[in-house]
Amino acid sequence: MTKDFAVPPVVFPTGGSSGGANVQQRRFSAIPFQQPPPQSSSQIPFLSFNMGSAAASSATTAGPFGGTIASSSSFGGGGGGSPSFEDEEPLLDELGIHPDQIWKKTRSILNPFRINQTVHKDSDLSGPIFLYLALCLFQLLAGKIQFGVILGWIVVSSIFLYVVFNMLAGRNGNLNLHTCTSLVGYCLLPVVVLSAVSLFVPQGAGPVKYVLAGVFVLWSTRACSTLVVSLADGGEEHRGLIAYACFLIYTLFSLLVIF
Amino acid sequence: MYNNMGPQPGMPMHQGIPQPGMPMHPAIPQPSPSEYVQSNISRYFSDPQYYFQVNDQYVRNKLKIVLFPFLHRGHWTRISEPVGGRLSYKPPIYDINAPDLYIPLMAFGTYVVLAGLSLGLYGKFSPEALNWLFVKGMVGWFLQVMLLKISLLSLGSGEAPLLDIVAYAGYTFTGLCLAVLGKIIWGYSYYVLIPWTCLCTGVFLVKTMKRVLFAEARSYDSSRHHYLLIFVALAQFPLLIWLGNISVNWLF
Repeated sequence: MTKDFAVPPVVFPTGGSSGGANVQQRRFSAIPFQQPPPQSSSQIPFLSFNMGSAAASSATTAGPFGGTIASSSSFGGGGGGSPSFEDEEPLLDELGIHPDQIWKKTRSILNPFRINQTVHKDSDLSGPIFLYLALCLFQLLAGKIQFGVILGWIVVSSIFLYVVFNMLAGRNGNLNLHTCTSLVGYCLLPVVVLSAVSLFVPQGAGPVKYVLAGVFVLWSTRACSTLVVSLADGGEEHRGLIAYACFLIYTLFSLLVIF
Repeated sequence: MYNNMGPQPGMPMHQGIPQPGMPMHPAIPQPSPSEYVQSNISRYFSDPQYYFQVNDQYVRNKLKIVLFPFLHRGHWTRISEPVGGRLSYKPPIYDINAPDLYIPLMAFGTYVVLAGLSLGLYGKFSPEALNWLFVKGMVGWFLQVMLLKISLLSLGSGEAPLLDIVAYAGYTFTGLCLAVLGKIIWGYSYYVLIPWTCLCTGVFLVKTMKRVLFAEARSYDSSRHHYLLIFVALAQFPLLIWLGNISVNWLF
């Protein structure tokens, strides 16, 4: 409950080394809230009220174990014996969400003419989840509540693409489902843009919507088929066939947006 | 299957409290994903990999055959080659008459998408309606498979591989897509395209099944064969009219 400040104990210049040690010891035993010595910094600070008697012993024993035994008796914050609060990983890293990587991958798809394939080598699912939520948000703004529908369709279409690609590629096809879902999710970005744009298209302009949808679907298809073919082996001679499968997937999503 | 089994990085390791620890598997060679897909599917069907050996040129030519079967000048028999002592058919890349599963799958998907589009143009689109269209298409495919399978069985031979029959049945969706596309572009063209599609599908199936029956049937009973083939061709009409009638009420 008290925050730990890195305040070194005060050493009086008079009295020499022994006097300083005496002062330190007196300080140690007199004030139970004293900051424990740095080598046992693995203990959780707000448990230091319990350390008054055990501090001396825990300072001498191996740091993490002593801290565990002492803190397991009282309710501990976090896992017993885990690194202290400052040493814990940031939440986003622990969850595996890397915003800069997501932004890089998203930006690589924003350019419809040249897609940077190397950033997509590590597949992750947090970017697609973010894009899925954005699509659901824009659909919600248009008055359609389709959270479950879009999630279900993403899952089904990534399984579809996975099966089609691996069957076409034959023995040496190595697209795995995680990468496939990641690519299908990231290439949903043009559909998200379409849903945002179609919020502003006036109600009666039918053909405009269809032409717009066509353009964005083609952009999506191009991105997805290029990425899939370049990231997994065995797809080079089946480019057109895989592109048609991607085209079907994204037309399906665009149907949700325009109708 | 994936390469990320095992303890995730960043999870705090529990010390002090005795824990069994994450069971570390010895390095088992993981099958590649395509082998995983194929090994699971081939438990129930005959080698599906055969049906996906296609390329662009095959797809284009096969579509021409399915949509305009009377323009096909060549023969309709599949080329067989001796493989390992048994006679097996050449894969689709080398033989235009071999069935494949890519076209039926894509045609089915196109049918669902186009049907959704046509529903939307009449203002009746909803995701549930699209799900019902998917189910309707599946039922139609199943009925077609049943038709072909029963006609094979009633002639005393059911040994044609199941996936062959599924592939032949799936080719009807290509003509159906054409009909639905015509309906979207100009409403009245539907009434021309549907009979055309039924006729073409009928001719295609008759010519194909004739070869299959010839290859598989134990006894060659000419009149029964012909009646059955005519029945298959005529049954296309109600089936395709039912599938082509796209409405929210999926039963008719």
